[in-house]
Amino acid sequence: MIDLKFDTVSKRYRIFKESETEGKRNALGRLSRRLRGNWSDFWALRDVSFEVSRGEALGLIGQNGAGKSTILKLLYNITTPTKGRIRVNGRLAALIEVASGFHPDLTGRENVYLNGSLLGMKRSEIRSKLDSIVDFAGVSAFIDTAVKRYSSGMYLRLGFSIAAHLDPDILLLDEVLAVGDAEFQSRCLERINQLRRAGTTIVFVSHNLGAIENLCDRVFLLRHGEIYRSGAPRYVISEYEHMLTSMPAATAKGLIDVHDAPASEIVSVIFYNSEGRRTTMFATGDAARVEVELMVHEPVEDALVEVYFYSIFGNIHSHFSTEIDGPTLDLQKGRCIIEFDCPQLPFEVAAFNIESSIKLRGSSFNEHVDYKRTGSINITRGKPVHGAFHTPHTWTVRSVAPPDSDHSTPAVVRNVD
Amino acid sequence: MAKSAINNELPVSRGNARPNYEIRPPSIFGFNLLANLSKLLQYKDLIWTLSLHRIKVRYKQSVLGILWAFLQPISMMLVFTFIFSLIARMPSEGIPYAIFAFTALLPWNYFSTSVANATSSLVKDAQFVTKVYFPREILPITYIVAALFDFAVASILLAGLLIYYKIALTVNVLYVAPILLVLTCFALAISLIFSATQVRFRDIGMAVPLLLQLWLFATPVIYPLSAVPARWRSFYVLNPMVGIIESFRDVVLKGEPPNMRYLMFSAVVSVILLFVSYLYFKRVEATMADFV
Repeated sequence: MIDLKFDTVSKRYRIFKESETEGKRNALGRLSRRLRGNWSDFWALRDVSFEVSRGEALGLIGQNGAGKSTILKLLYNITTPTKGRIRVNGRLAALIEVASGFHPDLTGRENVYLNGSLLGMKRSEIRSKLDSIVDFAGVSAFIDTAVKRYSSGMYLRLGFSIAAHLDPDILLLDEVLAVGDAEFQSRCLERINQLRRAGTTIVFVSHNLGAIENLCDRVFLLRHGEIYRSGAPRYVISEYEHMLTSMPAATAKGLIDVHDAPASEIVSVIFYNSEGRRTTMFATGDAARVEVELMVHEPVEDALVEVYFYSIFGNIHSHFSTEIDGPTLDLQKGRCIIEFDCPQLPFEVAAFNIESSIKLRGSSFNEHVDYKRTGSINITRGKPVHGAFHTPHTWTVRSVAPPDSDHSTPAVVRNVD
Repeated sequence: MAKSAINNELPVSRGNARPNYEIRPPSIFGFNLLANLSKLLQYKDLIWTLSLHRIKVRYKQSVLGILWAFLQPISMMLVFTFIFSLIARMPSEGIPYAIFAFTALLPWNYFSTSVANATSSLVKDAQFVTKVYFPREILPITYIVAALFDFAVASILLAGLLIYYKIALTVNVLYVAPILLVLTCFALAISLIFSATQVRFRDIGMAVPLLLQLWLFATPVIYPLSAVPARWRSFYVLNPMVGIIESFRDVVLKGEPPNMRYLMFSAVVSVILLFVSYLYFKRVEATMADFV
């Protein structure tokens, strides 16, 4: 039984070039640009064909702009294809951005009705599920309070809880695991797995390769609007990792001042696990060794090497620099490898983009000899994280016996790590 | 509290009916009116919830709350009465000017509030349009429902004025229902065209307040149709609002049946326009999320 079918689907976005003098929404300006042909076409998808069987979980991976979200948007009918046909067999729902349909002035209860009906639920359905939605979100005490008084966590939980109560035949998931804390994310996964066991067909878009591997039966790697690789999750994910590390790294132009011909270049930043195997998948608490390979064209004195961990939204999570605790680097001409060792990666479950830079001591924050995006890593569930990060720790009990007892030696009852 | 919910297994329940449909590139020839209407009907709960939401949000955190629904037509009536009855001596066919103007302002405000709010509806709710699927015409429709609510509230005031001026209703007041239907069709048609165009060209949003003001003066709201010179009248009645507003006043204040020629003309124009505007709206809807 086929639930979803793409038949040579293409999607074109026409991008009109804006000039300084003409407003974007100005009718005359648009008309003249249209007549002059002053636009460029961007094909977000090119002749994509595939089928998804009932109960199958399909994962879509690829870099930004590869076409993952376009596939979801087409399936969800938010926009239409330029060419080709899409066949959908079943009631379809999307868990895209929880809480995007909330109105701050309305109470939690009113918002449940509003958001629920936006997602296609009937009022009677919402009424019967209201208690369950509120319990699941853990906001029972505040259900008649305007949601603008909610904490961001309550907001997210309520939004997710509504969406989690949809019972579609086909579920679309777009980066649902990118928001909220680890506990919230594990509840998302819990519910997704439950729907999956109940035979729901799933299309899952995520940068979290660990979650993709755990959840999906089949994965597509998209590149430039085409299915570049497809098959078993393990195989496609390793292809993707290979693609990321072997690709000429993109420099972040515009944001960072990079010289045209740097005196030294970052060639690659490669992560190894505790067994010395090259990988981009780690669990929280795993040891990681990072090799930063440089090609030095001109000798550089007193250089600094930095490794940045960015969230997929572009927030900096961690920044390690030889300036703070590393050796003095006087780089000689030729190849050079600088190793960074981390006995326990402290990060919670998420994907991180890795960026790296060489700079001179004393230069300002955006003056780099070279600066590159060098790939990404994925952190899966490992050591427990309750809060923002994991840190090695132990528990000890100092007195177990009553104070009048002879045995006053401290007893270690539980030892973590 | 949140902790305990982790183990809370939610039931998975779903209906047996699996819809089966095909998504194709947009084409005017593929327009299927019945399919679109039945889809819209599936979303009637959303129309209801969103309309309630419009009304609630409007009056939330305002001291006077629902009183604003009365205050707007009253203040317009007072201003017009002052200017056109005391200063300019506008004819009102022997009816006290205040109620003469108010009766026409009621359907006019319904129309102008609908069009003004609905025009920006798709742009204002862009976060819905780009994130969630539902028939997009629901957004303008809910503003029309909210305006109809204001109309109903202001009607209570009209009833009070009728009693005060001792004007008796006749059986012809039943014509109000078909007149309102025609008016709603017309308001919806204009709203669909404007809101869909506003997605691409924000000029519409700028032009609408001005357009509505001019339109008000081209409609017998503050003056009677009889005040329009006879030689211009055949041109003047091409404005569908003429037949609607004049009929509304005839059946309520004069207790007469409406001028069927004018009303039928408005009805035919409204229905045809509604069909065409829906076709246009649906064509724009296909790629709306790419532009909004």
